[in-house]
Amino acid sequence: MKARARAITLLAALLGLASPWFGIPGWTLSVATVAAFTALALIGLNLVFGVLGMLAFGQAAFVALPGYVAGMLELLGAPTLAAMLAGVVVTVVVAAVVARIFVQLPGTYFAVGTLGFSFVIEGLARAFPEWTGGASGLVFASGRDIGPMAWYALATSALALGLLAWHFTVRTARDRRFRTVRHDELAAAVVGIDVARVKVGMFTLASGFCAVAGIGLAYYVGVLVPEGAGVNRSLEYVGTLLLGGAGSMLGPIVGAALVQWLFVVAGYGKQFELLLYGAAFLGAVLYARHGLVGLAAPLWRRAVSDRTGHGERADGFGRRAPELGDPALADARLQGLPAARGAAGGSGEALSVVDVSKNFGGVQALRSVSFSVRYGEIFALVGPNGAGKSTLFNVISGVEPPSAGQVLLDGERIDGLPIHRRAPRIGRAFQVARLVPGLSVLDNVVTRLDQIAPDMPEAARRGAALRQLRQFGLEGLAADDVAVLAAGQHKLIDLARAAVGSPRLVLLDEPAVGLTAAELDHLRRLLLELRDSGCAVVVVEHNIAFVSSVADRGVVLDGGALIAAGDFSSIIREPRVLEAYFGVLS
Amino acid sequence: MNLFTQSIYSGLTSGAVYALLAMGLVIAFRTTRVVNLAHGESYAVGGLSIALLQQAGVPMLLALVAGIVLGMVFLWGMDRVLLRPRASWPVPSLILITLGLAFLTRGVLLVAAGVDPLSFPRLVAGPPLRWAGGILPRQALVLIGVSIVAAIAVAVFLGRTRFGRQLRATAEHPDAAQLMGVNVNATRAVAFLLAGGLGALAAALLVPLVPVDFQTGLGMTLRGFIAAALAGMVPGAAVFCGFILGLFEAFVTSYGGALASDPVVFVVLIVAALWRSRSIRFEGRARA
Repeated sequence: MKARARAITLLAALLGLASPWFGIPGWTLSVATVAAFTALALIGLNLVFGVLGMLAFGQAAFVALPGYVAGMLELLGAPTLAAMLAGVVVTVVVAAVVARIFVQLPGTYFAVGTLGFSFVIEGLARAFPEWTGGASGLVFASGRDIGPMAWYALATSALALGLLAWHFTVRTARDRRFRTVRHDELAAAVVGIDVARVKVGMFTLASGFCAVAGIGLAYYVGVLVPEGAGVNRSLEYVGTLLLGGAGSMLGPIVGAALVQWLFVVAGYGKQFELLLYGAAFLGAVLYARHGLVGLAAPLWRRAVSDRTGHGERADGFGRRAPELGDPALADARLQGLPAARGAAGGSGEALSVVDVSKNFGGVQALRSVSFSVRYGEIFALVGPNGAGKSTLFNVISGVEPPSAGQVLLDGERIDGLPIHRRAPRIGRAFQVARLVPGLSVLDNVVTRLDQIAPDMPEAARRGAALRQLRQFGLEGLAADDVAVLAAGQHKLIDLARAAVGSPRLVLLDEPAVGLTAAELDHLRRLLLELRDSGCAVVVVEHNIAFVSSVADRGVVLDGGALIAAGDFSSIIREPRVLEAYFGVLS
Repeated sequence: MNLFTQSIYSGLTSGAVYALLAMGLVIAFRTTRVVNLAHGESYAVGGLSIALLQQAGVPMLLALVAGIVLGMVFLWGMDRVLLRPRASWPVPSLILITLGLAFLTRGVLLVAAGVDPLSFPRLVAGPPLRWAGGILPRQALVLIGVSIVAAIAVAVFLGRTRFGRQLRATAEHPDAAQLMGVNVNATRAVAFLLAGGLGALAAALLVPLVPVDFQTGLGMTLRGFIAAALAGMVPGAAVFCGFILGLFEAFVTSYGGALASDPVVFVVLIVAALWRSRSIRFEGRARA
């Protein structure tokens, strides 16, 4: 049913582009051709901007660059097709390099960096007129002879392929991964997603769409001017996508077609073009986050009468209710997980923290802390606020590198590994649950399995996640969007996610905070079950009564140093510990 | 003419402008945590409106005051109408709003002022100064002086006054600041008025030397941002880095040609960003 709805929308989109024969005034073959190429470039932009939420403000550079490369190669005597191919390849390589540099930076730097890249390509195009034709442009003569019909067919088929590629890029496990990265990069890394790689890959793929579209536009239009790479054009692309609907499959087509058509029909002077783009851009950002497609989606849903109802995302089209997996399918497969073996064998030493220190500038957050945690025990990490507990968690899970010392898991050093490489063996739940709204409870849990068991089929992963939810008593919520659930439920879901896929070590940051008495009992039972499964569990907790009821051993931190270690019920009675908590005792 | 001395003079001139822009950008950033991509538009709005008013026969002094006030009102209005009511939106959406406004402003300025760059007469007449083989227009000397004085004034304002503390408190945690009795809205208003005023002031002083057109704004935002990023978003350091950027750009232009400056400045941005990135991973979420 979902496939049919998608097919219908696809067909409608292509028919819309085919409409030069429908007699719409101004919608000529050439306008439709340009619109189709533009839409293809916008699909690329949509992948980075709409799907991953990356502020890519320089995409015109990747549309113009392939044209310039191809045109210059032709001037050197290269055959047309080879030049075109080289243009695309060079652009993708450049994009990969640019992405690698900027992707590790926070959003703002990425935004300004891409904007700057657009400035640079435009500047270079002007700086070397003997190569680029300068301000008057680079002329492409060889595209003329195949005729407008062939161009039109080429553009629409390229667009159809682009839509297909979009469809396969943004679905199931990848869709979950992208949404998690978009919503919360740290949570994404902690469930095992290599955030930088996802972003670099997406940016590179997106530039491929832009490059193919750019080659098409350059040879079809026949001339390429520096403005084509510039900031204004880049912003026009963002504006057009926003108008059509960022993040949705049809947004690029609706935006490109409407904008191209409007400018032909209205026949506005160049003078007003920028003003209208700017108004559309700002209007869409402020009042229609999902653009025209988002506005039309409710009507569409009513028309198609999709009775499955829930699980529909805000941008509308074609998202079914999450399909629940079959737990039976998962059982056999999960045994094959690498992590499961260690946990099953569980009796020896799991985690060793050896002389770990951490400085932030002049502040010593951790001073030569050492302890070890065994399999099959719950280990408590307590201490007053500012004692260094969160820092220690960050060091163990890889968010912060230690300034000195080692962290070992199963006798193997892990302190040099990035967060996502530790994720298969370490599950972590946060003080404030970091779940992805817009995804169902089940999808949130499956996201971790996607990463640590990529070879399992989708249905088996869903099954395993469902079994986990059943174990946590959350099965009834599996299909609900996490956005509608309460904070206490979020914490349990976060815990279920941290513990899915049999990690050897589970880190829990204040799991008891904000839970009701009934939820606390539930949590206690879950922690004991987790322990009995052979897993090593480390808990940071302020609720001493609660933690005393579950913890076997533990350590007390104060001012970044260990002040007590050992059997938990006895260490919390030590005078030094009482003093750290309550001030000086007589 | 001595190319080296001349590079220093023109570097200090454009550096003064970048310093003013970077300072405003940082002040607004510190109250809102949003890098305002419409910041440079205060320069374009200020510069173009002074030029248009002057052409329309408005006395020069009045035009200057009106232009600076317009620059202030522009950014204040952006915050009041677009950003403040949406303070709970995620930062990338707010950045997108500022970019949308920058885009719209370019469109408005194109319709209002046309494609051609505009200028207006210098405030300080007289022959340019000649020192050590370089030529420095008197106007540029005033610009450099004003920029340094403004930098010191703003530094004192931020460091020594109640507003400065309130601004830093707002930057750290708006809700907590509000609970402590800080009028967050007033703080934001002052910050944006200040930012807009500094941007337009830069235009009032530089446009007689370098004409302004409808698309000057984003380039100014970019350079202000680079200076601010180099300075780690600290107002005092932003002034210093503004001058450094100006000098660097001037030397590249003198010795490598005018068209080389965009790419080279971009490389500076990359270096600055990479250098600063160590401490800002996960956009301030590192404490998990």
